Order: sequence, then structure tokens, then C-alpha cells
Amino acid sequence: MATVQEKLLVLVALQDLDIMIRECDDKTHTDKLTAMGFTQEGREDLEEARKELVGTIDKALVNRYERTAKRLGRAIVPITGNICLGCFTIIPTSYTSSENRDKIMQCENCGRMFYWPKGS
Amino acid sequence: MSHEELFTLFSKDLFIPELKAKNRDGVLEEMVDQAVEAGVIRDRDVILGMLKNRESLGSTGLGEGVAFPHGRSLAIPTLMALFARSSKGIDYGAIDGKPVKLFFMFIAPPIEKENRYLPALGQVVELIRDETSREELMGVKTFEDFQKIILGGE
Repeated sequence: MATVQEKLLVLVALQDLDIMIRECDDKTHTDKLTAMGFTQEGREDLEEARKELVGTIDKALVNRYERTAKRLGRAIVPITGNICLGCFTIIPTSYTSSENRDKIMQCENCGRMFYWPKGS
Repeated sequence: MSHEELFTLFSKDLFIPELKAKNRDGVLEEMVDQAVEAGVIRDRDVILGMLKNRESLGSTGLGEGVAFPHGRSLAIPTLMALFARSSKGIDYGAIDGKPVKLFFMFIAPPIEKENRYLPALGQVVELIRDETSREELMGVKTFEDFQKIILGGE
């Protein structure tokens, strides 16, 4: 069974993929890349990769991610210091204690989930 | 973006004068590992997954022996650029089918205050369209030589 950290990393990867898919649908963005010579014809492959990724973690967690992403754009942010990098409010010190690394923590202010980058 | 500004994104720690890898996935791994070693990436596997997904969208090998793996990820705090070279060339699935000898990897965070990601990428793509710069980069062995070529195009 995946650990909390592993599940959070899947959400980070999912968010990266969602950003890429959103960029594919953003004409201003794709026009700039097309002008440079890049092709972007594999959107379906990205959707397929997303389905595979979503299948590796619990549905409840994916639903939570999708609800937050729909509301705020980004559903997950890294913890670096004591500030939520989503809404820039101060996080209680207790949040960043090592005891909480096996829990899915979220910002009390904006509701975004936190993940601990490796080495932090 | 001036060439000086562009050059600030590169560093000696993010310079690979001769790749060991022999295929596309190996090149991506070697470049990401170098960035991990330089301490600029938070999570190796997340970045690697993002770059492979980007390649499935369409090869970033734009032809003439040059590729530009790129994308955005939460697993990086600030925009970074890495240069790598393979004197033999690597089968990277480039759009012209030719082996790739020069790699410029750009990775940006999802939100970037200064918005330098696409301008920087565009600037390098433009530089590489110049055959002389391309030929010079194919022979580059030191970071100092690389610097001269990037700054020399101003």
C-alpha cells in the first residue's frame, strides 16, 4: 500500500499533467510554442496518462484533489518554511512537525494540500 | 530578454559536455540526475514523469540535431536551464528523424513571477536557428566556451 508521501507525489504529478493539459487548451500558449516549431498533437496521450495516474490512488483522495483544483487552480503546494505557497498565509508550526508527515495536511486558510519535498 | 539574462539561467553545475546515455529516456534521466545533484530539483521522479509526458505530446527534438525538453512542475522552485551535448548523437525521435547532439532542458514552476520561461525557451530556439552557433555548440567542451557562444550572439 502506498504511503501518504507516495500518494502526495502522485497528486503532484497529476497536477503537473493537468497544467500541461490546460496549456494545450490555451491558444495563446500553443501559438507561442507552435511559432517556435514545437508540435502538440498528443493531447489524448496526456489524457491516457492521467487516467493511469488517477488509478494508482484512492478515489476519495482524487475527488478531494479535483474539488480543490476546480476551486483554486492548484490543489497541492510544497511546504517550504512556514508559509502556504498557495495563499501565502502563515502555517502553524505544529503543521510542519515530523509527526504530521504521515498525514494529509491542508492549509487552514485556502484548503490546499501540502506535500513535503524530498530533503525538506 | 538579453543574452546576458538568458545566460544567468545556466550554470556550471547544469552543464554536461558529454552525455553517457544512449537513448531518449536515458538522456532525460541523466539530465534530471544532474539537476538533482546540483540541488535545483525537489523530486526526481516527478520531473522525469513530466518530461516524458511532454515528449508524448510531441517530440521536443526540433530537428538539425537539437532538442528542447521542457515543462512546468511543482517539483522545482525556480526556472532552470541545463545544457547537454552528445558528440555521437542520440536517437531522440526528433521531427526530422536525425540524431540529437544538443539538448537544452528548461523546467519552470507552475507560477513564475517574472514569466521568463517561454521567452527564454524562445530565445534559445532562435539562437539555434543560426547554423554557426549550432556548429560551435556541437564542438563545445567547457562551460566557458558555452558562455562565449551564448553571449556572443548579442
